[in-house]
Amino acid sequence: MPPIIQGFIELGIGAEIIYSFVIIICSLMIYFGTKEIYELSSYKGIKYFRRAFLFFAIAYFFRSFIKFILLGFSSWDIPPHIPGAIFEGLTIFIFLYFSSMAIFYLLYGVMWRKWNGDKTKIIIFHLLAIIISLASILFVNKLVHIMLNAFLLLFVISIVYIAHRNRQNSSKHNNFYIVYILLLIFWIFNILDILIPRFFQGIQLFGYLVSSGIFLTILYRVIKKSGK
Amino acid sequence: MAKRGRLEIIRDILTIIRDSHSIKFTPLLRKANLSSLRFKEYLSEIMTKKFVIETIDKKNEKFVSLTEKGASFLEQYRTIISFIEEFEL
Repeated sequence: MPPIIQGFIELGIGAEIIYSFVIIICSLMIYFGTKEIYELSSYKGIKYFRRAFLFFAIAYFFRSFIKFILLGFSSWDIPPHIPGAIFEGLTIFIFLYFSSMAIFYLLYGVMWRKWNGDKTKIIIFHLLAIIISLASILFVNKLVHIMLNAFLLLFVISIVYIAHRNRQNSSKHNNFYIVYILLLIFWIFNILDILIPRFFQGIQLFGYLVSSGIFLTILYRVIKKSGK
Repeated sequence: MAKRGRLEIIRDILTIIRDSHSIKFTPLLRKANLSSLRFKEYLSEIMTKKFVIETIDKKNEKFVSLTEKGASFLEQYRTIISFIEEFEL
C-alpha cells in the first residue's frame, strides 16, 4: 500500500474530508468575497491576495479528493497494471505546485510595491514551485524533504518579516504578519504531512485544527473588512 | 504634502465630479491638481472602468458626470483602503 494512503487511513477519511472542506470553503469565500473591491480598485495587492486563496482552494481539492480516489484504488480491486504510484506522484506534484504558488502569490501581494510590480519574479516563482514539486516527488530521502522545506520556510518568513518591518516604519502598526507567518508554518506542516506520512503522528489532528483556525481567522478578517 | 497614491487620485477626481454633478474637462484638470499627462491617464482609466460618462450638451460642449459604478467606488473607498492596510498589501 502506498505511504500516502496509509497516512490517510490512519487519521480517518472523515477528518481528512472535513479538513479539506473547511480550507476549500474558506479560500473560495475569501476569493469571491473580495471580487467587488478588486473589480472597483484593480489594486494589484488585492489581485495577488485573491489569487493566493484560489490556488489554496485548488491545492486542497487535489490534496483530499484525489487522495480519496487513491484510497479507492487500494480498495476497489483496480487491475495491477494501473500503477497507484503514478497517481500518487501526480497528486503530490499538483498539490505542491498549487500550494507553493499560493504562498508565492501571497508573498508577491505583500511585496509587489517594493518589487515595483516586476512580473519576472512571478515567472521565477512558477519555476521555483515546479522545481520544489519535482524535487519532492523525485527524492525519497526524508532529510532532503525536511531541509528543502526548512529552507523555504526561512526564505519566505524572512521576506514577510522584512516587508512588515519596512511597512511599520511608514504606516500604522499592524500585526497581521503574525497570521501570515503561522500560515507559512502550517503550509510546511501540510507539505511534510503529505511527503512523510508518519512525521506528525499523534499531532496530525492538532495540526489540522490549527490550520483550519488560521484560515477561519483570515476569512473572519476578510468578511469584517470587506463587509461581505 | 505626501504624494497621493493611485486610488487616492481616482477618489479625488470622482469626488470633484460628484460634487459638481457634471463638469467640463478643463476645470476638472485644474481642480484635480495633476499634470495634463497624468490627468489624461487617470481620465482614460476611470472612463474605461465606466466610473464616469462623457456627455455633450446643446452647445456641443463636453462634460463628464459620475456613473453608478463611480458612486459605488466612492462608497467603497474606505473599505478598500482599510482592506489594503489590514492585509499589508
